[in-house]
Amino acid sequence: MSNLLQPKSHVILGTVFLIAAFAALPALLSSFLLFQVSLVLTYAMAGLGLNLLLGFSGQVCLAQGAFFACGAYTTAILNTRYGIDPLLTLPISTFVTALVGVAIGLPALRLPGLQLAIVTFGIAAIVPQLILKLGDFTGGVTGLNMDVPVPPTWFFGDQEAWLYYLCAAGAGLCVLVMRRLVRGDTGRTLRALRDNTLIAQSMGIDLTRTRLAVFAISSGFAGLGGGLYAILNGFISPQSFLASKSIDILVGTIIGGASSISGAFIGAVFVVFVPDWASEISPALGALIYGLCLIGMMLLAREGVVGLAIKGVRHLAAARDLQQSKQRSPAPNAAIGEEIRP
Amino acid sequence: MVLFLQLILDGLASGAIYGALALALVLIYRATHIVNFGQGEMATFSAYLAWQLCEWGVPVALSLLIVAILSFGLGVGVFWLVVRPIYRAPSATVAVLTLGLFVIFGAVCLWIWGAEQQQFPAIFPDMGWTLGGVRVTANMLGLIATLCVLAIILACVFRFTRFGLAMRASAAEPENSALVGLRVERMLTLGWGLAAVVGFLAAVLIAPHLFLSPSMMVPVLIYALASATLGGWDSPMGAIAGGLMIGVAESLGATFLPFIGAELRLCIPIAVALVVLLACPAGLFGRKAVIRV
Repeated sequence: MSNLLQPKSHVILGTVFLIAAFAALPALLSSFLLFQVSLVLTYAMAGLGLNLLLGFSGQVCLAQGAFFACGAYTTAILNTRYGIDPLLTLPISTFVTALVGVAIGLPALRLPGLQLAIVTFGIAAIVPQLILKLGDFTGGVTGLNMDVPVPPTWFFGDQEAWLYYLCAAGAGLCVLVMRRLVRGDTGRTLRALRDNTLIAQSMGIDLTRTRLAVFAISSGFAGLGGGLYAILNGFISPQSFLASKSIDILVGTIIGGASSISGAFIGAVFVVFVPDWASEISPALGALIYGLCLIGMMLLAREGVVGLAIKGVRHLAAARDLQQSKQRSPAPNAAIGEEIRP
Repeated sequence: MVLFLQLILDGLASGAIYGALALALVLIYRATHIVNFGQGEMATFSAYLAWQLCEWGVPVALSLLIVAILSFGLGVGVFWLVVRPIYRAPSATVAVLTLGLFVIFGAVCLWIWGAEQQQFPAIFPDMGWTLGGVRVTANMLGLIATLCVLAIILACVFRFTRFGLAMRASAAEPENSALVGLRVERMLTLGWGLAAVVGFLAAVLIAPHLFLSPSMMVPVLIYALASATLGGWDSPMGAIAGGLMIGVAESLGATFLPFIGAELRLCIPIAVALVVLLACPAGLFGRKAVIRV
């Protein structure tokens, strides 16, 4: 069935192909579409964080949009008030957001159950008001105007392409960190905690510390995504961070598939493009689609679109195997294996 | 001092509403171990139905009665249609599902009735008395009295009737209850129906204050979640007590804490919930879960 013989070459080939595709996008897309793809990448970073939390540690965070806002405002405030170069603010935004995550997670993550979801539900709702209340810092309703980062002299493309590559680099970094975490020991620890907290704890895993670390990383991803979002737009206001942003990110994660990395990107494409298209028909339609997606996905396809695709391919491969064994011909493993790799 | 008393009374009145919605949440949590994020929006939907009936000329009391029955059906329908197939799944999955309910019912209200605010008919007469400088309105007394009556009825049903015993049994020990011949799923269904009615009651109580709008219950839901956390998720009386306490804390905090003010009063329930989780995770009236390994 599976391709134990040559997994490496496929992975390398696929990665090279993906990187080449991402690198070539600025040449292929119009500048507005490129902006939207960059937007997708920033959402995907927050989605990746939620993936890590929901798919690998079984916790729901409903304030991913709030962390997104936290990162965006940290970047914008550091830039407008203290004149720090936007790119240099990104590590700080990531770190600050992760710290905020720890502060919220410390009380909420000590218990098995939904305390994190309950607390973050409230936090998502309060953030727009908090931004307005801290108007001295955040510019209140008028928002903050940022410096646009100038492409360095060696860079060949224009402004938009530079911003796009920044977002792609950020997303790539998140993917690398996530792969490092999900594979190997850490990943097994996380899955053990998710699937049976009690047994995992008896094996000596520290529930609170592990979950807190995951939550900090997850918030950090959202912070980085938010920082890049601020840079990308050049302007942020409370209007960009309504409570519904957290729902957007959750919907993206669920649709793509909560335990797959590529799912975060597919989900982000969905939440950037579908509401635009739906709001042309009716203002309530976008939310209606979101709600139906959340419920439908939970009832029918908990692993999201990516999970469905993998299942479908496996099904096909199994059917093919069966047919081939009926014909008593030797099964060419590598050919099937190619399709199985997501 | 007069201001202080006035604020406490105001807080108790709004706390009664939070307590009622928290009660609905706890009823569902006890029965199925699900936090229903859609509870508030389902209640808004019911309140809209009642308002629509009133607009069509049905007397207020009659329309409330009709919609209470419809709400029961709504709760039952939601349970059977979407929750029953997966209520044994991991809690995160079910939480996402109930969030879907939250989004859907909000969208349906927006779709049918639009975003404009509607004036909901007042339930209690518009009168009041001033006692030693403290303004007491019929509305406040009505809210608190309604909550008390609701609490007493539910307590009696759960404590003294066969039906209440069956409900408690199937919530506490689903497998053993099934073995002794209880229809566990029927009990859970009834729990969802009952919770929808209690939620509707909360929405009707608050609607005349806030005006009816699709997102009317979102802040109330946050208060109710905090109330249930404060009181303990497995204790109906705790939910009511928690609601009253959150109401008072909100009313005092919004006035006496200069940073909070009117805009950030939503911070208070969140802060209370965080402190409770840090200090006493089972809540004030909840039982600590003991797990046999």
